[in-house]
Amino acid sequence: MTDLQKLRIGLTSLAVLAWAVAPLLVERSLLDVLNFSAILAIGGLGVGLLLGQCGIVNLGQSAFYGIGAYATAYGTTALGLPASAAMLIGMASAAAIALAIGWPMLRLGGFYLALATLAVGSIAGVLFFEWDWLTGGTLGVGGIPKLVVAGIELAEPMHYHYFIWPVVAGLSWLALNLIHSRQGLALRAMRDAAPAAEVLSIDLHRLKTVVFVISAVLGALAGSLFAHYVSFVSVQSFTVERSILFLLVPVVAGARSVPGIVIGALFVGLVPELLSALGDMHQVLFGLALVLVVTLLPGGITGLTTRWLARKEPA
Amino acid sequence: MNALISPKPAAAAEPLLRLQGIAHHFGGLNVLDKVEFDVPAGRIVGLLGPNGSGKTTCFNIVSGFLRPKAGSVRFAGDDVTAWSVQRRGSAGLVRTFQTPKVFEHMTVLENLMVGEYKTTRSGFVGALLSLPGARREYAAMRERATACAERFGLARLLHVVSGALPAGQRRIVELARACIAEPRVLLLDEPSSGLNTEEIETLRHWIERLNADGLTILLVSHDMGLMTVCDQAHVLYFGEIIASGSLAEVQCDPRVREAYLGV
Repeated sequence: MTDLQKLRIGLTSLAVLAWAVAPLLVERSLLDVLNFSAILAIGGLGVGLLLGQCGIVNLGQSAFYGIGAYATAYGTTALGLPASAAMLIGMASAAAIALAIGWPMLRLGGFYLALATLAVGSIAGVLFFEWDWLTGGTLGVGGIPKLVVAGIELAEPMHYHYFIWPVVAGLSWLALNLIHSRQGLALRAMRDAAPAAEVLSIDLHRLKTVVFVISAVLGALAGSLFAHYVSFVSVQSFTVERSILFLLVPVVAGARSVPGIVIGALFVGLVPELLSALGDMHQVLFGLALVLVVTLLPGGITGLTTRWLARKEPA
Repeated sequence: MNALISPKPAAAAEPLLRLQGIAHHFGGLNVLDKVEFDVPAGRIVGLLGPNGSGKTTCFNIVSGFLRPKAGSVRFAGDDVTAWSVQRRGSAGLVRTFQTPKVFEHMTVLENLMVGEYKTTRSGFVGALLSLPGARREYAAMRERATACAERFGLARLLHVVSGALPAGQRRIVELARACIAEPRVLLLDEPSSGLNTEEIETLRHWIERLNADGLTILLVSHDMGLMTVCDQAHVLYFGEIIASGSLAEVQCDPRVREAYLGV
């Protein structure tokens, strides 16, 4: 077994153990933050696939996050739909909208594309505000029922904790499958040298669009899970700031690595909360922590293990 | 020894690749003017010329990165002038780049596997769910890429990240990757640039072997030494073909001598 495999098995076992015992060891409020981290991980996974595998900066994930959340909110309250149906409607709407917007938008590249995604997020924010018949505007939509899984109502943070992290694990598995597939090879080829990928008959535009749609579906799923968790959604949760948080998730920990994205979500979720004990300074300190991570660890937090392994390898 | 490629039978009547009346200009600057030549199946055709003569522009027009202002590119009987790079790649027009474009963060094995994209099928659903069909296809890609690496003498570099390779080896990785993509015409853009004498010899060996296996090659270079592999050569000078024939013939042409040596 190679060092890398040993490290992977060791860290995975540790993570599973931490997940299993966390509700016994940490306070309810921290468990709550961990659940939000899991939601960030799901939406961030989509942004991470775009960034790490396609080299696309997506600043519009809040749009799809909002679509998922409002589909669940409106579907389960006003329409009385089952949670799963509302969730599927959210994901399907996000996919359709991502396809319609992504197809023309993904012809752009670099900064122009990043700005276009930012515009998507901003426009969605305005629409969520204006369409108050659907979203409740600033008053929001309340009374969203808790999820019921296998007959258990996920009313407490502990219940949600045992539900949502396996969802994160399952989605990470799907993402890893994608990366280590024929399509994953094509994505990375496109990221590394687009003209050469094109010569090898890879349809760059189609690939980017598909990953954009996948990313949007993950954003919508995160939004639905968020709505069920907090039972109340309003426009404040779907601003451009939220998109930036979703982008930070892969940036902080190394966008090319799926476990890195999960670690990034924990960082973005937990660190501000831990720092909040320090009072008003906490946002400045979080900003500083981010700057330090990005400048000192260009490969993200997971870049550390890669470098450590590289040092251990004989020349 | 195994054949390096599995060549496809060429359409009979017309030469495999034909350029007709190609003209191009950037702003007011004419770069190519009425450029015409054929690349018959099974041959190595060279496009020679000093720097700035329009070789790269011509090459970009053949591979689809540029649309000519006039004229047409015909490939295997089809007018491909309006085809995208990707469509030309699928049809078998596969190029390499002056600065080798390897996929830097991917291993040599993965680079070669990307070359098989066009001959494989599995889609996103199979990939995400790791369905048996997709897994089998991936394993087969891996196997073929490994065999290809062995044929091109890259076996011990399989798991090396290609960004870490020296220029000569990148060139061979790019060549092997182009060959696994089942080209009908291989377009080599200045393949000897940045290589030392020994590496150029290795490259020459591969070009000759590929051609012996039946592959048609269009070679663009200003390196007269490497050009001796060509069956036919065309000399481009200020956007016009000033001489065509065997390399020996064009080298004797007074206009070529003037263009190259100023005599």
